[in-house]
Amino acid sequence: MKEKSISNFRKKAKRTDKIAKGIISLGGFGVILSISAILLFLFYESFPLSFSASITEYLGWNASTKKVLLAGIDRYNEIEYLLDENGKVEFYRIKDQKIFQTDSIILAENEKIISADKGSLNDEIFAVGTNTGRIITAQIKMTPFYSRDERVIKASFAVKAIYSTTDSSTLPEPIYKIQYSKNEEASEYWAWLNNRNELRLRIYDADEEKFYNYNITDQLGNSKTSNFTISTQGDHLIAGTEGGELFWFDLSDIEDVQLKSNWRSSKNTITSLAFLIGDNSLVVGDAKGFLQLWFPVRSSNNEFRFKKIHDFRKHKNEITDIIVSPRNRTFLSIDSAGELHLNYSTTSNTEIEFKPFEYAIKTAAFSPKSDALILLDSKNRVGQFIVDNEHPEVSFETLFGKAWYEGYETPEFVWQSTGGSDEFEPKFSLIPLIFGTLKGTLYAMLFSIPLAILAAIYVSQFAPKKFARIIKPTIEIMAALPSVVIGFLAGLYFSPLFEKHLVTIFIAFIALPLFFLLSVFCWRLIPEAKRRRLPSGADMLFVIPFLIFSFLVAVLLANTVELFFFSGNISQWLYDTLNIHYDQRNSFVVGFALGFAVIPIIFTISEDALSNVPYSLTSASLALGASPWQTVKKIILPAAAGGIFSAVMLGLGRAIGETMIVLMATGNTPIMNLSPFNGFRAMSANIAVEIPEAPVDGTLYRVLFLTAFLLFVFTFLINGVAALIGDRLRKKYARF
Amino acid sequence: MRQPIKNYFKKGDPYILLTTLGLILSLGMVAWLILIILVKGLGIFWPSDLVKLDLKNDKVYMGELWNSTFEKTGDGSGKFKKVAKTQLKIGNRDVYGFDFTWVEDSLIRNKNYPEYATVFERVEYGNLYGFIKSVNIIDNKIESDNDTIFYKCRNTLSYANELKDTSDYLNTEYNDLLAPLNDIQRKISLLKMNEGYLSTKDKRKLEDLQYEEKKVKEEIEPKEILLNEKLNKNRNKLAKLYLLVETADGQQIKLPFENIVKFYQPNRMNVFEKGLQYIGSLWEFVSGDPRESNTEGGVFPAIFGTVMMVILMSIFVVPFGVLAAIYLNEYAKQGPLTRIIRLSVNNLAGVPSIVYGIFGLGFFIYVLGSSIDQFLFADKLPEPTMGTGGILWASLTLALLTLPVVVVATEEGILAVPRANKEGALALGSTKWQMIRRIVLPNAMPGILTGLILAISRGAGEVAPLMITGVVKLAPNLPFDTSFPFFHFDRKFMHLGFHIYDVGFQSPNVEAAIPMVYSTALLLIVVVVLLNLLAIYLRTRLKNKYKSASF
Repeated sequence: MKEKSISNFRKKAKRTDKIAKGIISLGGFGVILSISAILLFLFYESFPLSFSASITEYLGWNASTKKVLLAGIDRYNEIEYLLDENGKVEFYRIKDQKIFQTDSIILAENEKIISADKGSLNDEIFAVGTNTGRIITAQIKMTPFYSRDERVIKASFAVKAIYSTTDSSTLPEPIYKIQYSKNEEASEYWAWLNNRNELRLRIYDADEEKFYNYNITDQLGNSKTSNFTISTQGDHLIAGTEGGELFWFDLSDIEDVQLKSNWRSSKNTITSLAFLIGDNSLVVGDAKGFLQLWFPVRSSNNEFRFKKIHDFRKHKNEITDIIVSPRNRTFLSIDSAGELHLNYSTTSNTEIEFKPFEYAIKTAAFSPKSDALILLDSKNRVGQFIVDNEHPEVSFETLFGKAWYEGYETPEFVWQSTGGSDEFEPKFSLIPLIFGTLKGTLYAMLFSIPLAILAAIYVSQFAPKKFARIIKPTIEIMAALPSVVIGFLAGLYFSPLFEKHLVTIFIAFIALPLFFLLSVFCWRLIPEAKRRRLPSGADMLFVIPFLIFSFLVAVLLANTVELFFFSGNISQWLYDTLNIHYDQRNSFVVGFALGFAVIPIIFTISEDALSNVPYSLTSASLALGASPWQTVKKIILPAAAGGIFSAVMLGLGRAIGETMIVLMATGNTPIMNLSPFNGFRAMSANIAVEIPEAPVDGTLYRVLFLTAFLLFVFTFLINGVAALIGDRLRKKYARF
Repeated sequence: MRQPIKNYFKKGDPYILLTTLGLILSLGMVAWLILIILVKGLGIFWPSDLVKLDLKNDKVYMGELWNSTFEKTGDGSGKFKKVAKTQLKIGNRDVYGFDFTWVEDSLIRNKNYPEYATVFERVEYGNLYGFIKSVNIIDNKIESDNDTIFYKCRNTLSYANELKDTSDYLNTEYNDLLAPLNDIQRKISLLKMNEGYLSTKDKRKLEDLQYEEKKVKEEIEPKEILLNEKLNKNRNKLAKLYLLVETADGQQIKLPFENIVKFYQPNRMNVFEKGLQYIGSLWEFVSGDPRESNTEGGVFPAIFGTVMMVILMSIFVVPFGVLAAIYLNEYAKQGPLTRIIRLSVNNLAGVPSIVYGIFGLGFFIYVLGSSIDQFLFADKLPEPTMGTGGILWASLTLALLTLPVVVVATEEGILAVPRANKEGALALGSTKWQMIRRIVLPNAMPGILTGLILAISRGAGEVAPLMITGVVKLAPNLPFDTSFPFFHFDRKFMHLGFHIYDVGFQSPNVEAAIPMVYSTALLLIVVVVLLNLLAIYLRTRLKNKYKSASF
């Protein structure tokens, strides 16, 4: 009986042991896994930035209409329309490729549409030109309706305006090429090329409800116009010639359209021209397949001139069309062999190169969300493609290199994630942020390394033991001081104080070393033998009055010095004479404030390293007649160097990652200069500021995750190095 | 005989002096910081005297002396003028439009401390400084000598507070009464939104609801009328309790008692009375609700939120941290892999907190929270329930952040358990788990506690990750209350650290708010420092124990 109960007990104990082992192993392992999951998740969220774009065919069918001139899709990619030369508009439902509605532009007998152009990136409004010289403007609307949970897209078609370019008395002038734009103020611009090779322009001013007509052929010189385009807001007209020249007309003054400038962009005939969203960047394609991007840059005489910014990958054949994305600065270039390139302007990357059909492409259009593409070849094959191009604006070069953005005079490192309008191009250069982080770290380390290490040497070697026993925990507690408190003081107490007493600080910087030197020489007045017999700590008490004097001198002299040397106002003086702009929240304040966070770390760990140097070493050195300082210098410092190094590394890690102090004590402007009187924006503060506003899975969101990933890796490595060195050190001295 | 200078430097005394310089400056900085926070954080509750300034330009100001400075003006001729200026907190924001004013000292004609100057702390518009002219109690206007009138005001204020309490009570009763009706009406309006497309089933449901609405309305109507009457009566009474206050420049202000938090006449209080007042204000700061977009009143919700978050965090972090530490030390095979893991866990303590924050936001909120919403709270979508910041996600994020601290401290504790004890237990035939439970865990307890306390002090002071995972400047409800299920994991909460950041940097009236920020900072520091001291004490005890065991 007894034996049985014992064996039962044993069984039970063994069972519990097994269960415990299972739970602990699982839990422990789970914890370790979940920690590594952080790194994986950060990587997972930022990784899609490096995905290249893809275009996949979703559907393809043969259109019943012949000679299609225009096509378009609705914003949900559910229906699309095709416009043919007879003015017939057919609406297809994409999922079954059936026509569900037809409309038409009423044309005269024998009248055919021979050219067409969309007038807006956001609306399906377009103008067509006929062989009898008529220009017809029409609009298609594709609006969603909701009944229950189902979405039905309904289409409507309306002709808006009809204009005859010639009287009925004269011969009709077929419109070979037309360009049309309707801007946000509802003003409209038509430009067309007729059979006599005249470039004509017609403008409707919505404010005055007036029309203006121009013939700008004369201003183009002798060269024959091969292509032209109007910007979507109607401010510029650019015409390209067979000789490869470009002519820039300024349409902002509609009463007086003038040639602004002309220049040669290519050796070959200009075959394609288009403005990207934002109306700044002009894409130029020529007969040999060269593709360039130009935008106006302010020149030395303060005038804007178009400048070539990028060359894109060359097509093998003539570029026939450029299709612009309504969402971002992506565009599609199409050549005569039916090959397509998907390009992004700022990165000058050609994301994809593909040939969807065997034959040349006649018509192409982006969907309003730029996530689908509709293509039509010369054999009337229609293809709908899904465009997967989530983060075209980010590439390794734009993140870590200089990029030339519209409106800038040179390529620059810029961080500017949000702007006022839809046309704003986000600028994601991480360099200003990394620079900011390093700048803050640099000032913090410059300030705290000497102080912390000196203090650690004193406390570990020279201070009275009782004193050291109080000092160490006090400073350790300082390390736990919430950074938000330090940041708040830095932003609201120290920065105004420093601004007010800048001169005092300057003088203190000079007076402090001088008075310290004075104290050094006064200390020598005490005979050496007497000095050795002084109780430890006397040296510190001796120095204190000198420091107090130096501060007093700084405070007392400040006003006079400011008046005589800086004409009464130092920040004004700095600006006038040295062109230094003094920000109230600046790097000097950050360096000082970060010192509060970093000094305790460096101090504690260095002090540990210094006091852990085996006593036998110290005693040996002293016994051989070395002075205390000589012992410190020759024995203790070399022995503890690794520990001190790892202390500095840990401090560095803290300074790099510190968020609240940097957030509160700098102006958070992403500028790049080393001046201690200016602020910066650090990676950590940038995350804190921008992540709440960043749309999930958008480019900004992912770039911020990338920043976090980089921070993680930086600090992890720095801490790793520190720990390894600390480990080696411990082993080295374990044998003493 | 003086030491030769070369020898002096060689022997290194100057360098020793240099090291003292480092320590003095470091300690000086720390002392400076602590001093500022102590003085500014504790100073604001002291009822300072009200000074009345008659200026030469016939303006009259009364208020608390706030600040004084010398402004330097160089007039270009190389001469230099020093202008002494005094800042006065003149309060009366609703009258003057601003709380503070600067006065040039040379303009002051007369400066005195009127005996009966009164400070009114108000629910709205900050402090009011003035003299009590008369009290209106219901239909009774009292004008009397200053002492009587002050005494009457005291009584009336407590009466008004009683009335206010009754009002609050009646209001909750009223809301409770109407709650079922509101619920039905919300459901009806939801259905009515899609009125054109309702299925027959939904139509019937709508009719049922409308019938029910009518029934409930009839049922509660008599009670509602009765309550309304009571409320109105109370309100009328309160409206008839007011003061007429004259400001220093002679304007008369009607001040309803309803709007008064407290009032006092600092110029005739002695130190003892001021001390009492001071303690009262301090208590109010710790226990009261914030007013005027957090720039006045107390920080109780922030304290509560911080404590709640820290508790929740500890519940997550301690078991897992201890599990991981035991696993690493007792079960895992000791080799290069465990060394790497240990190193990594150590390094994680140095990873910036904002990185944990962005992980919490991306993973807990957008991935986990959104999926929970899909499954459990689909009816409330697109309004997120768990898919937005809340106390649960914030504490989980902080639990991850503090995990390395707990693991490392627990490991230290476990390593300190003498090998002999452990082996002794095993030799006596105990299983590994028995050994861990009876020998390792009890002996490692101080280590675990140290870890917990360090985690708490880190968690309490951390702001950056909380900012993006669920802290808000003003939470309407506490995360823990009496309504089911008591603990509301999805609620956003207030936090002392964030309070400092928000009030100090994002409040519209920073100058008036700064004193509050100092006090909050002081409170936070006190909490963190106390927790750290406790941790240090426990660690020393652990070390001593280890020492004694090794002999």
